[in-house]
Parts: sequence; structure tokens; C-alpha cells
Amino acid sequence: MNVMSKIRVGATHLAALKAALPHAVLDEAWQTDTQLTITVKLNQLPEAVAYLYYQREGWLSVVVGNDERKLNGSFGLYYVLSMEGEEKGYVVVHAAVPEGKEEFPSVTPKVPACVWGEREVRDMFGLKPIGLPDERRLVLPDDWPADLHPLRKDAMDYRLRPDPVGDDETYTFVNDSKQETTVIPLGPLHITSDEPGHFRLFVDGEDIIDADYRMFYVHRGMEKIAETRMGYDEVTFLADRVCGICGYAHSVAYTNSVENALGIVVPQRAQAIRTILLETERLHSHLLNLGLACHFVGFDTGFMQFFRVREKSMTLAEMLTGSRKTYAINLIGGVRRDILGEQRTRTLQLIGELRVEVGRLVEMLLSTANVDGRVKGVGILDPQIARDYSPVGPLVRGSGHKRDTRVLHPFAGYGLVDLGINVGEGCDVLSRTLVRVAEFFDSLSIIEQALENTPAGPILTEDFTYQPYKFALGFTEAPRGEDIHWSMTGDNQKLWRWRCRASTYANWPVLRYMLRGNTVSDAPLIVASIDPCYSCTDRVTVVDVKKATQKTVPYKEMERYCRDRTDSPLK
Amino acid sequence: MFKLLKEIFRTGEATVKYPFAPLHVEKDFRGKPEHDPEQCIACAACTVACPPNAIAMATDTDAGTRTWSIDYGRCIFCARCEEVCPTDAIRLSTDFELAVTTKADLTRQAVFRLARCEACDEPFAAAKEVAYVQDLIDKTAPSANEAARRRRSVATCPACKRARDVATVAALRFDRQPEETR
Ligand code: SF4
Ligand code: SF4
Repeated sequence: MNVMSKIRVGATHLAALKAALPHAVLDEAWQTDTQLTITVKLNQLPEAVAYLYYQREGWLSVVVGNDERKLNGSFGLYYVLSMEGEEKGYVVVHAAVPEGKEEFPSVTPKVPACVWGEREVRDMFGLKPIGLPDERRLVLPDDWPADLHPLRKDAMDYRLRPDPVGDDETYTFVNDSKQETTVIPLGPLHITSDEPGHFRLFVDGEDIIDADYRMFYVHRGMEKIAETRMGYDEVTFLADRVCGICGYAHSVAYTNSVENALGIVVPQRAQAIRTILLETERLHSHLLNLGLACHFVGFDTGFMQFFRVREKSMTLAEMLTGSRKTYAINLIGGVRRDILGEQRTRTLQLIGELRVEVGRLVEMLLSTANVDGRVKGVGILDPQIARDYSPVGPLVRGSGHKRDTRVLHPFAGYGLVDLGINVGEGCDVLSRTLVRVAEFFDSLSIIEQALENTPAGPILTEDFTYQPYKFALGFTEAPRGEDIHWSMTGDNQKLWRWRCRASTYANWPVLRYMLRGNTVSDAPLIVASIDPCYSCTDRVTVVDVKKATQKTVPYKEMERYCRDRTDSPLK
Repeated sequence: MFKLLKEIFRTGEATVKYPFAPLHVEKDFRGKPEHDPEQCIACAACTVACPPNAIAMATDTDAGTRTWSIDYGRCIFCARCEEVCPTDAIRLSTDFELAVTTKADLTRQAVFRLARCEACDEPFAAAKEVAYVQDLIDKTAPSANEAARRRRSVATCPACKRARDVATVAALRFDRQPEETR
């Protein structure tokens, strides 16, 4: 049964926008009760997004490009805003870019948070953001053919890899410092995880004056694969693999997006099970980060202890899903495994053990002499910078903003449980760490509540039909913050478009501001505090611009320096 | 410091003996899919369901065979195959030790004979699949005559079936009115 309801959350935002910009709005449509897409005139796109962002408490979730030329002769641009003021919901500002005149006015000068999204749209669709100050590529490599835009429907087969034509890196790293600085590149290639990145620290002595970085060295082209090779129901399993840590959050976000688009009512029991598994994922992810926080401040015994206890959360996942990490539990319409009596008992038992043991470890960590000194006041994320760039998760909560998708836009079974938002006021590494600690214990309680009140009934519905060209958002609060997916069905059991935005994508742009003013030895710690998908940094090349010499330091050495803080490798 | 020491003593030995002792996995763990060619009817349901295309079917009409194969190197252990298989021929075991020394060892195959069409004698579907459906028909058809008719229909290739339908309809001199029947 595909259902369309009549509730219309977001009407006040629409009315306010119409009042503020009288002739901008062309069309409006609700995809679900709480998702509104407003089509505006292309030349008023920046004003419309900026108005909703700053005047109506909108935060940017993602910018989506879409090649709709076959459907309506234009490219679609969708600026997804999470409305977090009085009336909470998602408002998407849509504008059409006509074929043949492939440019649009950039929103970034008014709303800095749009910068990565617009750079990506330029790379992937060849739409030119007029007025976007940053002219560099974001996703494509330096030697990628200039007119090949991978996500255009007529561009290329998903298997095509243009031959590399040069080894030269032509990417320019931005340095805003006024004084003379030394450059320290960190990275790129250590592919232990899914997102290697290359950092350049511009330093004066030991102090970081500015920083810039580049990601997407191993872009996997998942969106293209999903749109061309896979069926819409199979993408659920691909989404499980977006991240090696919080893949389940992506799987839920994806299934939600399709369920929302097709108006599928997922049984309550399935929703509760999703909630339990999402929180299980958060348990292991936060323990991983707490362990690494120990490691980076030179407290390796703590690291070992956290990882030992973390095994319990892995066991929990293995027992409930059949796999330690890639749960593969979702289908469009519900879940594949129920939680029965025996699993319930063991879950409660493991939860109890985790509460006691992690409690002890946290106490131990916080009472360790040098920990406070290393993390307090380090890596400050200014709340105003946060407001401008829309970061997510413990990072933004550590700077005092009450942003948590589970509470603001309850999805899955979060409507069934009692939950608050943990915020910290310190804006530093310590504050973020404490938010994670508090959330860990909240997760334990959510699992207990959801097990306590699991609604009875089926865990899967197959009572729906696939409909062409329907789109909607799906979202989850992953351990690192909001994951958001925008999916549009095609006409052949496939997806026309899948835009998947992982939480860390929203967090990278602010890292630069967090690094400024700290010392080099704190850099790994600060990077770790956003809990990125690790991997980023393999080795360090030190370039002294003044002497034009170059020295390569292994990353291990950099990491050692962060822990010991003696014998600077820069000397 | 004291707390830390206490924790260390409380923990004792945390390291497991694996690989020198077997590692315990949960009973519903999803490991290596085990295929039973005896049970399998080569219906290809798993092939269609498998998200990463780890399972494949290759038909060789000259040899009159259909080859089912699985590539464990591609498998993501999702158990979709197990879910869709009508005969329980593929099940996920708890085996997770899949390392091999040559890549070819990651592939397993099962070869099935193709049935020939009753009318044109061309190979068209796996013999076991045809037999399986005929078996189902025998158990469910309302009468012996009807069962025989349906058995014949299953043993005929789609092209011949279509030709026969056209002939039957012509013989009935049935005036079709597409506008109304739609
Ligand atoms: S477990 Fe999944 S990936 Fe592996 S063969 Fe079965 S369907 Fe394919
Ligand atoms: S679904 Fe089962 S019976 Fe059909 S081909 Fe696969 S293993 Fe064989």
C-alpha cells in the first residue's frame, strides 16, 4: 500500500518565503508529511536558500544535482535544508538549470555551507556556479578530462576509467595567513579505511597558522553504480558499505528515502529493530573513538582497554544481525531478522556489562593526569563558524548547538523512546569527547527502552508497488552525525538518482578553522576529534619554504610526536 | 593510576588463542554460502537476487548444459540467495576462513543438463527445473487430464508455446475485441 498523507509541515516556512521574496516561488510539493520541496526561480536561488537558512533556522544538509534532461529538459538543483526552529522538518529549495545554459548563481557567498556541494555539482554535472570563489575541483582528479562529467546520464559507463595522463598535482592549497609560513603536507596514501586525505599545514615554528586539505583520492563512484548497474532494492546492501563503521546508518537512510518516496508504511516492529541496531552501531563507534582519543594523547593502555570492551558491542551486533559490521538487515519495507526472546535476554545482559565496564574506563580516562591538559581548549570550533557551515554530530553538539536528527526529526523507532540532546559548551576536543561519552550511555538506555516496548506485529511489508520518478529524503543520526540520502526512482526497477551524503562530508569544511592557532603536535588529535573515517594520513613531508628544502617524516613519527611531544621532527 | 592497575588485574588475560584454537562465532553468523547441487534445480532465483553478482549462470546450448557458479571473492555474505531459494539448496554456514592460495579456488561450479522442448527439440530450461515444476503440477492439478496438459505445457519452450497458442486461438475462431478485453 503506497500512502500519501495530508499533514503539511513546513507551510509556515513557505508562507514566510513567499512574503519575503514575493515572485520567487514557482511551485511547491510535499513528498511526505515533513518534507517540502519548493521550486524557485533560478536567479533568486541564493536569496531563497539564504533566507530559509538564516531567517528560519535552516541548516544545510546536502546539495543535490540531478540530470533530468530526459524528463524535463533541465538539470535539477536541490538545496536540502533541515529546519530546526519552531516548525521542524525538511525544506528543499529546488531550481531548474536549463539544458544549453548550464550555469547557476552560487549560493556560497551568502551561505558558506554550500561550498562543497556546489564544487561537487560542478565536477559531476558540469553546472557552473557563477560567483563561487573556490574554482578548484572537489571530487575529480587533476588529470580527469575537462568535459567529462560522470553523473550526466549521457557521460560514461560506470566502468570507464580514463587513462591517467599526468602525475603532476595541479591542485592549489589555500593559505590565508598574512605572514610567512612553512608548509607541512600530511598524507595522502594510507588506505586503511575509505577516505584517505591530504593535509597541508601552514606553520610558523610549531604553530598552525592555516590549513587546507583534499579528499576523494579513492572516490568509489557508488552513486553511479547504484544508478546504472543495481536494482533499487539491491542498493540497500551497497549502502551498507558506504562506511566501514556506520554503514548501517546509511542502509537505514537509504531504505527510508525510498520508503518515503513510495509512501511505504514500515511496520512499527521493524522500526524499533532498526533503532536498536543503529544504537548498537553507535556503541561500537563511540568506543572506537574513545579508544583512539586515548591513543592520541599517549595513553595506550586506555586504548587497549576500550578496544577490549568494544568487543562486547561487536558480539552484540553479530548476535542480532549475523555479522560484526555489515549488518545487511534492511530491505525496502522493513527488516529481515526479528529479535526473539533469547536474543533479547542476551542483549540486556551485554548492555548491563557494557554499562559497568565502560563506566569504569571513562572514570579512569578522565582521572588520568595529563588527559585534561591535552584536550581542554584544543581544536576550538567557534559556534558561529559552526552556524555558517552546518557541521553535524558530536562535533556541532560539542559547540553548544542542539542538533540531533533523532530528536529533531524522529525517524525509525526514535518516536517510541525518551531521548534528549547532549551538548557541550567547551567547543574543544574535550567537549566533543564528553558528548560521545554521554551518548554512549544514552544508546544503552535507548536499546533497553526499545526492547522494553517493542511493538508486536510483522517486521516486513511487501504490500507496495514501485512507482517511477518519485523522490524523497531519508535521514539518520549516524555516530558522526546526520547521514542524508536523496533518492529518486527511475522507470525500470532502478534509481534515477541517489545522492548519499555521509556525516563526515559535512564536517570537513570546518576542520580548517579548528586547526588554526593550535600547535602541530595537536593536529592528529584535532583531526581525530571529528572522528573522521580514519586513514587520512600516512606520512608527512616537511617543506621549508624559506630554505626550499624538503624532508619526509613517516606518519608514525608525526603520531609519535603527538603522543610524546618531545624531539620535534620539524627541527 | 591505581584505578588503571586495578582494571588491568581485573581483566586478566584478554587475548584469544585464535588461530591456534577455534574462534567462537554466534550461531546465526552469516559465513560462507554452501551450495548443494543435489537440491539445486538451477532456477536462477539466487542469481537474480545476489546484489554483487557473485552467483552466475552460463548457458551452453551446444553442449546442452547450464552452469551455476559462485565466486566467494565477490560474495558479501548477505544471505539473499538463501532467502529466495525455493529448495533450500543454498545456505549460509558459519565458516569464515576463506583464504586460498590461488584465486581460482574461490569459485565453485555445478553443471546442469538442459531439457529439450517437446515440440522443437531445442534445449530451453534446466531439466531439473522442469521436473520440479511438473512434480508440483502432479500434486496440485484438479484432474489427471489437466495435469497431463499442464505437464506438456511446462515441457514446451516459450517460442513453441506461443506458436501453439496462436494455432489454438485460430482453431477456436474466437473473435477478439481488444478494446473491450483490455
Ligand atoms: S550471500 Fe549474498 S552475495 Fe553471497 S552469494 Fe548469496 S546473495 Fe550473493
Ligand atoms: S535459487 Fe536455489 S535452486 Fe535456484 S539456482 Fe539458486 S541454489 Fe539453485
